[in-house]
Amino acid sequence: MMARRCEITLDADGCKGCGYCETVCPMNVYERGAFINERGYTPYRAVRPELCVGCMQCYYVCPDFCLDVTPDEVSR
Amino acid sequence: MDSLSTRYLRAKKIPSTACGGCGLGQVHKKILMAMDELALGVGDVVWGSGIGCAGRQTFNTWKGDNFAGTHGRVYAIATGLRLALPEDKKIIITSGDGDAFGIGLSHLLHCARRNVDITVIVADNLGYQSTGGQYGYTTPLGFVSDSSPYGAIEQNWIQNGIDILDVLRAGGATFLARHSSLEGYDAVKSVKAAIKNVGFSLIHFIYPCVSHFGPVSLKTRDIDRIFHWFKGIFEAGGVFGENFKSGIFHDAGNSRPEFASSLRSQRAEVEAGHLR
Ligand code: SF4
Ligand code: SF4
Ligand code: SF4
Repeated sequence: MMARRCEITLDADGCKGCGYCETVCPMNVYERGAFINERGYTPYRAVRPELCVGCMQCYYVCPDFCLDVTPDEVSR
Repeated sequence: MDSLSTRYLRAKKIPSTACGGCGLGQVHKKILMAMDELALGVGDVVWGSGIGCAGRQTFNTWKGDNFAGTHGRVYAIATGLRLALPEDKKIIITSGDGDAFGIGLSHLLHCARRNVDITVIVADNLGYQSTGGQYGYTTPLGFVSDSSPYGAIEQNWIQNGIDILDVLRAGGATFLARHSSLEGYDAVKSVKAAIKNVGFSLIHFIYPCVSHFGPVSLKTRDIDRIFHWFKGIFEAGGVFGENFKSGIFHDAGNSRPEFASSLRSQRAEVEAGHLR
Protein backbone atom coordinates (compact mmCIF):
# COMPACT_ATOMS: atom_id res chain seq x y z
CA MET A 1 0.00 0.00 0.00
CA MET A 2 1.26 3.51 -0.80
CA ALA A 3 1.11 5.83 2.16
CA ARG A 4 2.32 9.34 2.72
CA ARG A 5 5.38 9.55 4.84
CA CYS A 6 7.39 12.60 5.73
CA GLU A 7 10.88 13.14 6.82
CA ILE A 8 11.08 15.66 9.66
CA THR A 9 14.32 17.52 10.31
CA LEU A 10 14.46 19.65 13.45
CA ASP A 11 17.53 21.83 13.94
CA ALA A 12 17.93 21.64 17.72
CA ASP A 13 20.56 24.42 17.75
CA GLY A 14 18.09 26.89 16.25
CA CYS A 15 14.98 25.76 18.15
CA LYS A 16 13.81 28.15 20.87
CA GLY A 17 11.60 25.58 22.57
CA CYS A 18 8.42 27.59 22.09
CA GLY A 19 6.21 24.54 21.58
CA TYR A 20 3.99 25.78 18.75
CA CYS A 21 4.84 22.62 16.82
CA GLU A 22 3.41 20.52 19.62
CA THR A 23 0.34 22.79 19.87
CA VAL A 24 -0.61 22.45 16.19
CA CYS A 25 0.40 18.87 15.39
CA PRO A 26 -2.75 16.74 15.12
CA MET A 27 -0.71 13.53 15.32
CA ASN A 28 1.19 14.27 18.53
CA VAL A 29 4.57 13.95 16.82
CA TYR A 30 6.47 16.46 19.01
CA GLU A 31 7.62 16.57 22.60
CA ARG A 32 9.87 18.87 24.55
CA GLY A 33 13.39 17.46 24.67
CA ALA A 34 15.51 16.84 27.74
CA PHE A 35 18.61 18.97 27.14
CA ILE A 36 19.40 22.66 26.99
CA ASN A 37 21.03 23.92 23.78
CA GLU A 38 23.86 26.46 23.49
CA ARG A 39 21.43 29.37 23.36
CA GLY A 40 19.81 28.28 26.59
CA TYR A 41 16.60 26.84 25.12
CA THR A 42 15.15 23.37 25.54
CA PRO A 43 14.56 22.20 21.98
CA TYR A 44 11.61 20.08 20.95
CA ARG A 45 12.02 16.71 19.30
CA ALA A 46 10.00 14.81 16.69
CA VAL A 47 9.56 11.70 18.83
CA ARG A 48 6.85 10.00 16.71
CA PRO A 49 7.76 10.99 13.13
CA GLU A 50 6.17 7.82 11.74
CA LEU A 51 2.73 9.24 12.63
CA CYS A 52 3.20 12.38 10.54
CA VAL A 53 0.52 12.90 7.87
CA GLY A 54 2.30 15.79 6.16
CA CYS A 55 -0.26 18.49 6.99
CA MET A 56 2.61 21.02 7.26
CA GLN A 57 1.00 22.93 10.13
CA CYS A 58 4.18 22.65 12.21
CA TYR A 59 6.21 24.00 9.31
CA TYR A 60 3.98 27.06 8.88
CA VAL A 61 3.90 27.85 12.59
CA CYS A 62 7.58 27.36 13.52
CA PRO A 63 8.85 30.93 13.93
CA ASP A 64 12.54 30.12 13.97
CA PHE A 65 13.23 28.43 10.65
CA CYS A 66 14.33 25.20 12.28
CA LEU A 67 11.86 22.67 10.85
CA ASP A 68 11.81 20.93 7.50
CA VAL A 69 9.00 18.52 6.65
CA THR A 70 9.70 16.74 3.40
CA PRO A 71 6.87 14.66 1.98
CA ASP A 72 7.89 11.38 0.47
CA GLU A 73 5.72 8.69 -1.15
CA VAL A 74 6.88 5.31 0.08
CA SER A 75 5.46 1.82 0.46
CA ARG A 76 4.36 0.73 3.88
CA MET B 1 18.12 26.50 9.81
CA ASP B 2 15.58 25.02 7.41
CA SER B 3 16.21 24.73 3.67
CA LEU B 4 14.16 27.86 2.85
CA SER B 5 16.02 30.16 5.23
CA THR B 6 19.37 28.65 4.23
CA ARG B 7 18.68 29.76 0.67
CA TYR B 8 17.57 33.31 1.49
CA LEU B 9 18.81 34.38 4.94
CA ARG B 10 22.19 34.97 6.54
CA ALA B 11 23.20 32.12 8.85
CA LYS B 12 24.67 34.45 11.44
CA LYS B 13 21.29 36.17 11.85
CA ILE B 14 19.17 33.05 12.29
CA PRO B 15 17.72 32.30 14.73
CA SER B 16 16.94 35.95 15.31
CA THR B 17 17.22 37.61 18.68
CA ALA B 18 13.40 37.62 18.94
CA CYS B 19 11.98 36.09 22.11
CA GLY B 20 11.26 32.35 21.94
CA GLY B 21 7.66 32.01 20.73
CA CYS B 22 7.52 35.45 19.09
CA GLY B 23 5.32 35.11 16.01
CA LEU B 24 7.34 37.50 13.89
CA GLY B 25 9.33 34.66 12.32
CA GLN B 26 6.04 33.17 11.11
CA VAL B 27 5.46 36.33 9.06
CA HIS B 28 9.07 36.32 7.88
CA LYS B 29 8.73 32.73 6.70
CA LYS B 30 5.57 33.43 4.68
CA ILE B 31 7.38 36.17 2.77
CA LEU B 32 10.19 33.74 1.91
CA MET B 33 7.69 31.06 0.86
CA ALA B 34 6.00 33.56 -1.47
CA MET B 35 9.33 34.59 -2.99
CA ASP B 36 10.28 30.95 -3.43
CA GLU B 37 7.01 30.23 -5.28
CA LEU B 38 7.55 33.28 -7.48
CA ALA B 39 11.05 31.95 -8.25
CA LEU B 40 12.65 35.16 -6.97
CA GLY B 41 16.32 34.91 -6.13
CA VAL B 42 18.49 36.81 -3.67
CA GLY B 43 19.44 39.26 -6.43
CA ASP B 44 15.84 40.04 -7.37
CA VAL B 45 14.77 41.71 -4.13
CA VAL B 46 15.91 44.68 -2.06
CA TRP B 47 14.67 44.32 1.50
CA GLY B 48 14.06 47.29 3.77
CA SER B 49 13.14 47.24 7.43
CA GLY B 50 11.62 49.70 9.86
CA ILE B 51 12.23 50.15 13.58
CA GLY B 52 10.87 48.16 16.52
CA CYS B 53 10.64 44.39 16.95
CA ALA B 54 9.60 43.89 13.31
CA GLY B 55 12.48 45.96 11.98
CA ARG B 56 15.13 44.69 14.34
CA GLN B 57 14.36 41.02 13.83
CA THR B 58 14.27 41.19 10.03
CA PHE B 59 17.06 43.76 9.50
CA ASN B 60 20.00 42.44 7.53
CA THR B 61 18.72 38.87 7.60
CA TRP B 62 18.24 38.96 3.81
CA LYS B 63 21.28 37.66 1.90
CA GLY B 64 20.77 40.23 -0.84
CA ASP B 65 20.72 44.03 -0.77
CA ASN B 66 18.96 45.45 2.25
CA PHE B 67 18.63 48.62 4.30
CA ALA B 68 17.07 49.95 7.47
CA GLY B 69 15.00 53.10 7.56
CA THR B 70 14.79 55.54 10.41
CA HIS B 71 11.56 55.21 12.39
CA GLY B 72 8.58 55.66 10.03
CA ARG B 73 10.77 56.83 7.14
CA VAL B 74 11.49 53.54 5.42
CA TYR B 75 8.59 54.17 2.98
CA ALA B 76 10.11 57.44 1.80
CA ILE B 77 13.52 55.81 1.36
CA ALA B 78 11.87 52.99 -0.59
CA THR B 79 10.21 55.55 -2.87
CA GLY B 80 13.63 56.97 -3.71
CA LEU B 81 14.98 53.49 -4.34
CA ARG B 82 12.01 52.72 -6.58
CA LEU B 83 12.97 55.67 -8.76
CA ALA B 84 16.62 54.64 -8.88
CA LEU B 85 16.35 50.87 -9.36
CA PRO B 86 15.41 48.89 -12.48
CA GLU B 87 11.66 48.30 -12.59
CA ASP B 88 11.92 44.52 -12.29
CA LYS B 89 13.76 44.73 -8.95
CA LYS B 90 11.28 44.00 -6.14
CA ILE B 91 11.28 46.16 -3.02
CA ILE B 92 9.90 44.53 0.11
CA ILE B 93 9.59 46.33 3.45
CA THR B 94 9.02 44.73 6.84
CA SER B 95 7.90 47.17 9.50
CA GLY B 96 5.69 47.22 12.55
CA ASP B 97 2.36 48.70 13.60
CA GLY B 98 3.96 51.67 15.35
CA ASP B 99 6.19 52.42 12.39
CA ALA B 100 3.52 52.07 9.69
CA PHE B 101 0.26 53.07 11.35
CA GLY B 102 1.59 55.79 13.66
CA ILE B 103 5.03 57.30 13.32
CA GLY B 104 5.32 56.77 9.57
CA LEU B 105 1.65 56.94 8.59
CA SER B 106 2.03 60.12 6.57
CA HIS B 107 4.92 58.66 4.56
CA LEU B 108 2.95 55.46 4.09
CA LEU B 109 -0.12 57.32 2.81
CA HIS B 110 1.93 59.30 0.32
CA CYS B 111 3.34 56.02 -1.03
CA ALA B 112 -0.24 54.77 -1.46
CA ARG B 113 -1.32 58.02 -3.15
CA ARG B 114 1.59 57.84 -5.58
CA ASN B 115 1.05 54.10 -6.06
CA VAL B 116 4.76 53.40 -5.58
CA ASP B 117 5.62 49.83 -6.57
CA ILE B 118 6.66 48.46 -3.19
CA THR B 119 5.30 45.71 -0.95
CA VAL B 120 4.92 46.69 2.70
CA ILE B 121 4.49 43.90 5.24
CA VAL B 122 3.24 45.37 8.50
CA ALA B 123 4.05 42.86 11.24
CA ASP B 124 1.71 43.95 14.03
CA ASN B 125 2.31 42.91 17.64
CA LEU B 126 -0.59 45.04 18.90
CA GLY B 127 1.46 47.75 20.57
CA TYR B 128 4.91 49.10 21.30
CA GLN B 129 6.43 45.86 22.51
CA SER B 130 10.15 46.45 21.91
CA THR B 131 10.03 49.37 24.34
CA GLY B 132 8.36 47.37 27.07
CA GLY B 133 4.72 47.04 26.03
CA GLN B 134 2.98 50.41 25.70
CA TYR B 135 -0.37 50.60 23.92
CA GLY B 136 -0.28 51.61 20.27
CA TYR B 137 -2.55 52.02 17.23
CA THR B 138 -3.92 48.49 17.19
CA THR B 139 -4.05 47.58 20.89
CA PRO B 140 -7.60 46.33 21.57
CA LEU B 141 -9.77 48.79 23.50
CA GLY B 142 -9.88 48.09 27.19
CA PHE B 143 -6.68 46.06 27.19
CA VAL B 144 -4.09 46.64 29.84
CA SER B 145 -0.58 47.61 28.77
CA ASP B 146 2.39 49.26 30.40
CA SER B 147 0.93 52.68 29.57
CA SER B 148 -2.74 51.79 30.04
CA PRO B 149 -2.82 50.12 33.46
CA TYR B 150 -6.62 50.54 33.71
CA GLY B 151 -7.27 49.53 30.08
CA ALA B 152 -6.70 51.35 26.78
CA ILE B 153 -9.34 54.04 26.19
CA GLU B 154 -7.84 55.53 23.02
CA GLN B 155 -9.65 54.51 19.81
CA ASN B 156 -7.33 52.35 17.71
CA TRP B 157 -7.13 51.90 13.92
CA ILE B 158 -8.96 48.56 13.67
CA GLN B 159 -12.05 48.55 15.86
CA ASN B 160 -15.55 50.09 16.09
CA GLY B 161 -15.98 50.58 12.35
CA ILE B 162 -12.61 52.31 11.88
CA ASP B 163 -10.12 50.46 9.71
CA ILE B 164 -6.67 51.57 8.67
CA LEU B 165 -7.06 49.49 5.49
CA ASP B 166 -10.06 51.67 4.54
CA VAL B 167 -7.83 54.71 4.98
CA LEU B 168 -5.16 53.19 2.77
CA ARG B 169 -7.70 52.15 0.14
CA ALA B 170 -9.10 55.68 0.05
CA GLY B 171 -5.52 56.92 -0.18
CA GLY B 172 -4.93 54.95 -3.39
CA ALA B 173 -3.32 51.65 -2.37
CA THR B 174 -3.82 49.04 -5.09
CA PHE B 175 -3.46 45.83 -3.05
CA LEU B 176 -4.39 45.33 0.60
CA ALA B 177 -4.75 42.17 2.68
CA ARG B 178 -4.93 41.17 6.31
CA HIS B 179 -3.82 37.93 7.95
CA SER B 180 -2.62 36.36 11.16
CA SER B 181 0.91 34.99 11.26
CA LEU B 182 -0.67 31.70 12.39
CA GLU B 183 -2.37 31.14 9.05
CA GLY B 184 -1.11 28.80 6.37
CA TYR B 185 -1.05 28.93 2.61
CA ASP B 186 -3.75 31.63 2.22
CA ALA B 187 -1.34 34.12 3.71
CA VAL B 188 1.43 33.03 1.33
CA LYS B 189 -0.96 33.54 -1.60
CA SER B 190 -1.68 37.10 -0.48
CA VAL B 191 2.03 37.87 -0.20
CA LYS B 192 2.53 36.53 -3.72
CA ALA B 193 -0.29 38.71 -5.06
CA ALA B 194 1.13 41.73 -3.23
CA ILE B 195 4.59 41.23 -4.73
CA LYS B 196 3.13 40.73 -8.21
CA ASN B 197 1.10 43.94 -8.08
CA VAL B 198 2.99 46.70 -9.87
CA GLY B 199 1.94 49.39 -7.41
CA PHE B 200 1.57 49.98 -3.69
CA SER B 201 0.73 46.80 -1.78
CA LEU B 202 0.39 46.31 1.94
CA ILE B 203 -0.35 43.29 4.07
CA HIS B 204 -1.35 43.72 7.69
CA PHE B 205 -0.11 40.66 9.61
CA ILE B 206 -1.05 40.29 13.26
CA TYR B 207 1.36 38.12 15.25
CA PRO B 208 1.73 37.01 18.87
CA CYS B 209 4.06 38.88 21.22
CA VAL B 210 4.71 36.39 24.00
CA SER B 211 6.87 38.57 26.22
CA HIS B 212 4.69 41.66 26.72
CA PHE B 213 1.27 41.36 25.11
CA GLY B 214 0.88 37.78 26.41
CA PRO B 215 1.75 38.28 30.07
CA VAL B 216 0.55 41.90 30.46
CA SER B 217 -2.51 42.14 28.22
CA LEU B 218 -3.65 38.51 28.08
CA LYS B 219 -2.33 37.73 31.58
CA THR B 220 -0.65 34.54 30.46
CA ARG B 221 2.71 33.21 29.33
CA ASP B 222 1.18 29.90 28.29
CA ILE B 223 1.97 29.38 24.61
CA ASP B 224 -1.20 27.33 24.01
CA ARG B 225 -3.44 30.07 25.41
CA ILE B 226 -1.62 32.81 23.51
CA PHE B 227 -1.83 30.75 20.32
CA HIS B 228 -5.57 30.19 20.68
CA TRP B 229 -6.30 33.83 21.54
CA PHE B 230 -4.51 34.98 18.38
CA LYS B 231 -6.16 32.20 16.34
CA GLY B 232 -9.51 33.53 17.53
CA ILE B 233 -8.97 37.08 16.28
CA PHE B 234 -10.70 36.37 12.96
CA GLU B 235 -13.30 34.00 14.39
CA ALA B 236 -16.73 34.68 15.90
CA GLY B 237 -16.32 36.61 19.14
CA GLY B 238 -12.88 37.90 18.10
CA VAL B 239 -11.68 40.97 19.98
CA PHE B 240 -11.87 43.34 16.99
CA GLY B 241 -15.47 42.46 16.12
CA GLU B 242 -17.41 40.48 13.54
CA ASN B 243 -16.25 42.47 10.52
CA PHE B 244 -12.58 41.87 11.21
CA LYS B 245 -11.73 39.25 8.60
CA SER B 246 -8.59 37.76 7.17
CA GLY B 247 -7.93 37.60 3.44
CA ILE B 248 -7.61 40.00 0.55
CA PHE B 249 -9.21 43.33 1.49
CA HIS B 250 -8.77 45.27 -1.75
CA ASP B 251 -7.36 44.19 -5.08
CA ALA B 252 -7.16 46.86 -7.72
CA GLY B 253 -3.94 45.39 -9.05
CA ASN B 254 -2.39 47.31 -11.92
CA SER B 255 -5.43 49.64 -12.20
CA ARG B 256 -3.62 52.95 -11.65
CA PRO B 257 -0.37 54.35 -13.07
CA GLU B 258 2.65 53.47 -11.00
CA PHE B 259 4.76 56.39 -9.83
CA ALA B 260 8.22 55.41 -11.09
CA SER B 261 6.96 54.16 -14.46
CA SER B 262 5.03 57.42 -14.98
CA LEU B 263 8.21 59.34 -14.31
CA ARG B 264 10.23 57.09 -16.63
CA SER B 265 7.68 57.57 -19.44
CA GLN B 266 7.72 61.31 -19.04
CA ARG B 267 11.51 61.38 -19.05
CA ALA B 268 11.54 59.39 -22.29
CA GLU B 269 9.13 61.92 -23.82
CA VAL B 270 11.32 64.82 -22.71
CA GLU B 271 14.47 63.13 -24.03
CA ALA B 272 12.77 62.47 -27.35
CA GLY B 273 11.95 66.17 -27.60
CA HIS B 274 8.19 65.62 -27.46
CA LEU B 275 7.74 67.79 -24.38
CA ARG B 276 9.16 71.31 -24.10
S1 SF4 C 1 3.31 17.89 9.15
FE1 SF4 C 1 1.41 17.82 10.41
S2 SF4 C 1 1.33 15.73 11.18
FE2 SF4 C 1 3.41 16.03 10.41
S3 SF4 C 1 4.58 16.65 12.20
FE3 SF4 C 1 3.89 18.55 11.20
S4 SF4 C 1 1.97 19.08 12.21
FE4 SF4 C 1 2.41 16.94 12.72
S1 SF4 D 1 7.88 25.57 16.69
FE1 SF4 D 1 10.02 25.55 15.94
S2 SF4 D 1 11.17 26.80 17.44
FE2 SF4 D 1 9.19 26.28 18.39
S3 SF4 D 1 9.61 24.41 19.57
FE3 SF4 D 1 8.86 23.74 17.58
S4 SF4 D 1 10.71 23.43 16.31
FE4 SF4 D 1 11.30 24.65 18.11
S1 SF4 E 1 8.97 41.72 22.68
FE1 SF4 E 1 7.22 40.62 21.79
S2 SF4 E 1 7.14 41.23 19.62
FE2 SF4 E 1 9.17 41.80 20.42
S3 SF4 E 1 10.55 40.07 19.94
FE3 SF4 E 1 9.73 39.69 22.00
S4 SF4 E 1 7.84 38.46 21.70
FE4 SF4 E 1 8.39 39.38 19.72
